[in-house]
Amino acid sequence: MLLKKFLLACVKKKHLTAHLFSCMIAKVNEMEKIVRQTLLYDFYGELLNSHQRKLYEDAVFGDLSLSEIAEEEGISRQGVHDLIRRCDRLMEDYEEKLHLIHKFSETKKQVERIRRLALQRDEESWSEIVKACDGILETL
Amino acid sequence: MAVKMRLRRMGQKKAPFYRIVVADSRSPRDGRFIEEVGYYDPTKDPSVIKINEELAKKWLATGAQPTETVAKLLKIAGIEK
Repeated sequence: MLLKKFLLACVKKKHLTAHLFSCMIAKVNEMEKIVRQTLLYDFYGELLNSHQRKLYEDAVFGDLSLSEIAEEEGISRQGVHDLIRRCDRLMEDYEEKLHLIHKFSETKKQVERIRRLALQRDEESWSEIVKACDGILETL
Repeated sequence: MAVKMRLRRMGQKKAPFYRIVVADSRSPRDGRFIEEVGYYDPTKDPSVIKINEELAKKWLATGAQPTETVAKLLKIAGIEK
């Protein structure tokens, strides 16, 4: 069989894929869970204790199953499950109060937009750039 | 040898992407893997999923067990056993 490369758009926001397969959306959303957990950890991981960090990294960076982690640690699967959930909740709480991830992704989006506009080098783009900059300054 | 197909986080802080790798299931924590079969890059808009179908099918046929997340990616990419 020929080597076939898949390049598939699984769009970040669910409504963008809504016209595709509804069953696929569920899968895409579940994939986003691991991305969300990774970002939470990148921003707030240092606020967890070292035991929590280790297990969370196993689960999210290493994609180990709960039972695999339980076996490595010599604790119950339920224990691992509770710990991961507690970490999720803790870090979501931080995000709710500090909005670091939200601000980061908004700023990133705006800067990417400014970059695109800057490459166009026309009058209209300049005013768009100024607007985008103001937007960033407001969110800081 | 029991092997698993799992994700592995790569990329800088705050810019994650994931490799899909085939690795020995007995030592899940050590970083070694047997082969890379693709990647998932959520930093792009839209996200990019690239899987070497031939390789993935070969490993699935020889009994590699995908993790839940990898199974989802395979499904999104339309690869069945």
